[in-house]
Amino acid sequence: MLEKLMSIDRRIIFILVALAVILPTLIPVSMPISVSEPTQKLYDYIETIPAGGTIMLVFDYGPASLAELNPMARVIMKQCFAKDIRVIGLTLYAVGTTMGSTLIQEVVEETGAVDGEDYVFLGYRPGPVLVILGMGTDIASVFDTDYNGKPLSEIPMMQNVTNYDQIDLLVDLSAGSLTEAWITYANVQFNLQIAAGVTGVIISQMYPYLQTGQLIGLIPGIAGAAEYERLIEAPAKGTLWINIESFVHLLIIGLVVIGNIAFFIQRRREE
Amino acid sequence: MRRQVPLILCFVFGIVMIFTQFIPHSLSQGLHQEVRQWYFIIFPFALVFSTIAFIRTHIMRIRRRTEHWRYSFIIFIGILMMVVIGVPFGPQHHVFEWLFNNIQVPMDATMFSLLAFFIASAAYRAFRARTLEASLLLVTALIVMLGNVPVGDLVWNTAFSWLPWEDATSSMKQWILDNPNLSARRGIILGISLGVISQSIRIILGIERSYLGGGD
Repeated sequence: MLEKLMSIDRRIIFILVALAVILPTLIPVSMPISVSEPTQKLYDYIETIPAGGTIMLVFDYGPASLAELNPMARVIMKQCFAKDIRVIGLTLYAVGTTMGSTLIQEVVEETGAVDGEDYVFLGYRPGPVLVILGMGTDIASVFDTDYNGKPLSEIPMMQNVTNYDQIDLLVDLSAGSLTEAWITYANVQFNLQIAAGVTGVIISQMYPYLQTGQLIGLIPGIAGAAEYERLIEAPAKGTLWINIESFVHLLIIGLVVIGNIAFFIQRRREE
Repeated sequence: MRRQVPLILCFVFGIVMIFTQFIPHSLSQGLHQEVRQWYFIIFPFALVFSTIAFIRTHIMRIRRRTEHWRYSFIIFIGILMMVVIGVPFGPQHHVFEWLFNNIQVPMDATMFSLLAFFIASAAYRAFRARTLEASLLLVTALIVMLGNVPVGDLVWNTAFSWLPWEDATSSMKQWILDNPNLSARRGIILGISLGVISQSIRIILGIERSYLGGGD
């Protein structure tokens, strides 16, 4: 019996994980979500930006991370459009181009935001560090047109935006190390206020920057997306998925505890 | 000469670009901006070279009939489809977007989703409290896992409602991230940064030449 508990066939574990995902998806469960301090800080900061302000939203991720980061992008855009804050979307990650464009279109259909007045999507340029540095001097020197090929000089909301001096906040949604590049080159050199939304695996990397104030806020993984949805009172995929994730976490914890109990009993018997 | 020229270019541009960061004069900033533009021109050539290398690798695989060589044909079909649509019509074209959203996105997301299954299996096998260090890691991981999902606080607030600490699992998780995690990360960042600085100096001065290839 102990032997079996210590070496459960991995196919059984796979089936249990699948069930822990499928069942709560079919029968949604609602759990109370408490808002963490880093998420609250970002929400509060955006609330302080006056109508007519501008934020940059950077889609530094690919399809592998969209489950965690797309809900964050949605809530930030919804909050901004509701407050008349303009959004400049861009990406330093080639695969993020089509994703960012598609996602913006989805949110625009819900909110009725107008292209060129409420938002603009600049697309992708190679060489992250040079793009970050270049926009600090002149955005048009890096992105001469938007994603659809329209010159920035013809876009109404870009008329008074030259460089980071006119940007109230940059939110980097990242699945890698690009947030650190934004901090190093845009925050340190140009004093641009930066916040981030990151995948679960890199949350811990962001804490030193939160403490120093180089990140004014952080949306930590899908849990953070759910927290943000609670803050803007629009529960969506983040809330659904964090509840599903709860069951998977419980399953893994259960498996680890069972494995350890069996391990201790066996070790005691051997002694 | 084949080695000297790249080394000289690396030295000159390395030093000049460092200095432009510290000289706010318009000449210096103009130079910096000019060199940045060069990068945007050079980058597509790098892309072409890497694509040629990629295609050559897979042609060799097919010629030599190495393991799973048939999959190389799928790679060629994928490249061809995206290039035929993407190059003349751009990534904004609805067919390109359809291919991306309905082939690449689900495949990429599926690959990443498989991690959940492997992590569950690996955690069950590897997380054993064999030593004090392993026990500490185990307890920390369990607290962070519970604190990161709403069920953690729900279980705590239900099971330990008689205790004065509400939402204790998320509070403990936050404490772990704010204190031991932050201290360790800061040490790692300092170490990496010093390493990057010293490696950059070695490259600029031509001491480190492995980027030239040839095993130097």
